[in-house]
Amino acid sequence: MEAADRELMCSGHVGCPGCGATIAMRFFLKALGEKAVMVLPACCWSVIAGPFPQSSIKIPVIHAAFETGGATATGVRAALDMRGDTETTVVTWAGDGGTFDIGFQALSGAVERNEDFIYVCYDNEAYMNTGIQRSSSTPYGAWTTTTTGSDWKKLRKKNIVEALVAHRIPYAATANIAFPEDLMRKVKKAKAVKGSRFIHVFASCPTGWRIPSEMSVKIARMAVQTNIFPLYEVEDGVRYTINYKPREYLVREYFKLQGRFRHLSDADLDAIQEMVDEDWHLLLRKAGERA
Amino acid sequence: MDSGVAFKRRLYMPRTSMTTEGNRTGSWRFLRPRYEEKTSPCSAACPVGEDIPRVEMLVTQGAFKEAWETILLENPLPGVCGRVCFHPCEGKCNRKDFDTPVAIHTLERFLSDTAFRNETKPVLPRRPPTGKRVAVVGSGPAGLSAAWFLTILGYECDVLEAMEEAGGLLRWGIPEYRLPRSELQREIGRIVDEGVRIHTGERVKKERFEELRTRYDALLLGCGLWKNRPLGISGEDVPGVEDGLTFLRRVRGGERPAVGGVNAIIGGGNTAVDVARSVVRLGGEAVIVYRRRREDMPAFFEEIEGALEEGVEIKELLAPSSIAARNGGLVLTLRRMMIEGKDKDGRGRIVPAGTETLSLEVARVFVATGADTAETWHLPPAGNDKTIRLSRCLLSFEEGVPVAYVGDLAGGDLNVTAAIASGKEAVMALDSYFKGGCGTILEDLSSCRVGDGTSLSMEIYLGGARKARSRHVVTYEEINTDYFSFEPRITQPRLLPDERRLSFDEIEMKLSAGTAMREAGRCFNCGICNGCDNCWLYCPDVAVIRQRRSGERLIDYNYCKGCGLCVVECPRNAMALEEEGGS
Repeated sequence: MEAADRELMCSGHVGCPGCGATIAMRFFLKALGEKAVMVLPACCWSVIAGPFPQSSIKIPVIHAAFETGGATATGVRAALDMRGDTETTVVTWAGDGGTFDIGFQALSGAVERNEDFIYVCYDNEAYMNTGIQRSSSTPYGAWTTTTTGSDWKKLRKKNIVEALVAHRIPYAATANIAFPEDLMRKVKKAKAVKGSRFIHVFASCPTGWRIPSEMSVKIARMAVQTNIFPLYEVEDGVRYTINYKPREYLVREYFKLQGRFRHLSDADLDAIQEMVDEDWHLLLRKAGERA
Repeated sequence: MDSGVAFKRRLYMPRTSMTTEGNRTGSWRFLRPRYEEKTSPCSAACPVGEDIPRVEMLVTQGAFKEAWETILLENPLPGVCGRVCFHPCEGKCNRKDFDTPVAIHTLERFLSDTAFRNETKPVLPRRPPTGKRVAVVGSGPAGLSAAWFLTILGYECDVLEAMEEAGGLLRWGIPEYRLPRSELQREIGRIVDEGVRIHTGERVKKERFEELRTRYDALLLGCGLWKNRPLGISGEDVPGVEDGLTFLRRVRGGERPAVGGVNAIIGGGNTAVDVARSVVRLGGEAVIVYRRRREDMPAFFEEIEGALEEGVEIKELLAPSSIAARNGGLVLTLRRMMIEGKDKDGRGRIVPAGTETLSLEVARVFVATGADTAETWHLPPAGNDKTIRLSRCLLSFEEGVPVAYVGDLAGGDLNVTAAIASGKEAVMALDSYFKGGCGTILEDLSSCRVGDGTSLSMEIYLGGARKARSRHVVTYEEINTDYFSFEPRITQPRLLPDERRLSFDEIEMKLSAGTAMREAGRCFNCGICNGCDNCWLYCPDVAVIRQRRSGERLIDYNYCKGCGLCVVECPRNAMALEEEGGS
């Protein structure tokens, strides 16, 4: 069976209409296969995975405390190893809050020890499950329920992939729900690597981003097309590969479609464009490429 | 230490025992996506309403026979149209707003070439015999089209052709370098194979026509316009002044008339350009004299370009005022014209520019300024309560059996594809008449329209799958171009201008299957499902079901939350989103 034809996610889950995180999970499981255990620290998916005794995914799930994504996976891996099971892949599936903020120390610790697991952060750029509070993943310029009105977030988004790359883990990559082939290829690649692997998946959130549900893939795609969320992978913390070189779209095309950015002025958008260009050129330099 | 206590008690591991499939999340939905195939702009622009997006989809898959059959159901002459049609489809191709239009006509010709090379026999839907007999006068594009569709609809059909070989204008008007005789013969051979009887050398005079009325259940008259329209100037009957259509007919009959020296061709239509290009091939010099500007010429753009490449000269804004014999040659006196305002048809209105005249010394003059019916009774009767005028034909019920006037006789657009469309429309109208009388014709035809124009689909008439498509014509804005990348259009291999001048060999050369498939892959397939599965892939609720056997896709409304992603991510607008519970 083709990996893409495999279906390990069920209908009837309670994700919002158009939820990017569910699309991310669906693609991820298609590429991963059933021989896996998933650790779910608190995030939207803690709810989407179903109230007991239901489950919306067809692999074992361990619901874990918010800050323990890295530590729980370490324990599960150790337990499997003790039983001689090296075949099962251990995965932590966490949101941006559980990765960038609350779970960061456990994650950093685990990857520093090069624990053998895949850590996936599906990034919807705020604490969506608890009511759209800003996280350190919330991008510059965004409205959230804790950065309202003129107090919109005026700090840059943490570059989590670079933080992980700094640990010199064997494999780190970005992926996006609008690029399913690329996403599934990276999951398969990660699965074949030993040690700590990190995949940062961009997953749009119609509810929190104030976008129409039918636009969620389109907008996720635009994040790549505008260089806001470049697709790339880093092996052993040093070897960079940029997977997609977009045509030059302006970031304002992406921003103007989303309610969370509605308050931004042209000057703000120009400033954001500069930040995006700067980050992109920095990435190009790391990959040894020219614009 | 009683650390053993914790280990003695079994850890309680809660286990899930069911999936979430018990939650019918479809109840959240207030918008309902559904599959809805629509009409592509190319097929709406095609006079015969070919199902172009489907044809290109099949070519992409390498299903050449099926693609060819798909065309044949709407147009019996793809090998002809792939060569001589002015392809309005490409002008409306949504891809033109992205990079360049798909080379639809080239692919049509490729399919015909391939089918003939492989000696493919088409399998088409056919109605059972009706027992009715129809006579078709004239075997040009309109007559051949009518005969083909009559046969498909179960009529017995006799075609009466005055010349010794069938094809009408295709055989006796259009030069060999545009449409080789062998290709035409194969196309006609296939029509004959379907059961059409073509009687050549049977010129139908008025008396014979009256006799036919008594022997057939319906008649179609499609004998074209073959009488050159006179210029109405002095010296028109001087030896050396010839009419263009006769010249073309002689050349296609195998003659090689002497055309040494300068030949003036008066006119701006395809006949004028055909004559000029033929003259060049016979070793003469050709000058087209046209009273309007080059951009006003009714000849097809590609033909004019080709003529210029081959060394034909075009003199514009010159109207002939007289012809006189002098020193064994001719002197053509021309009046200079200028543009002033606009005509009814939107072209620039021409008026004499002062009194200045110009003399042109030439060896010969060809007149190609239009043609009329060869005999007056070929003209359709004036509109009255016993005639029905349709978009491309006219039906008369004046005397007994119905008579359909098709092709150029019906007026309107004078080109091959329009003639094919005319024959098709007339056949549908006659069939509708035989089934339900005059009253049902308009309604029946209207239900077979492709998109918003006048093109009709035989597949729809026969109740085929195409019937389910919406009439909405897909616009470029409705295409999700994120799924397409820039690809250059194929360059049609052609003979070089120097090679062309030496013979009547076909200019456009054949295409390889690989090139054709790549070109067809550029097609957006506007409005039709090509099984890309984006709807299935992106559904966050796993609510799109693929039927393994039929390849059909269904939406499971038990779970679909109506997010609308499938509709937006459909690259070709083959889906629709509507309000739940709405119409």
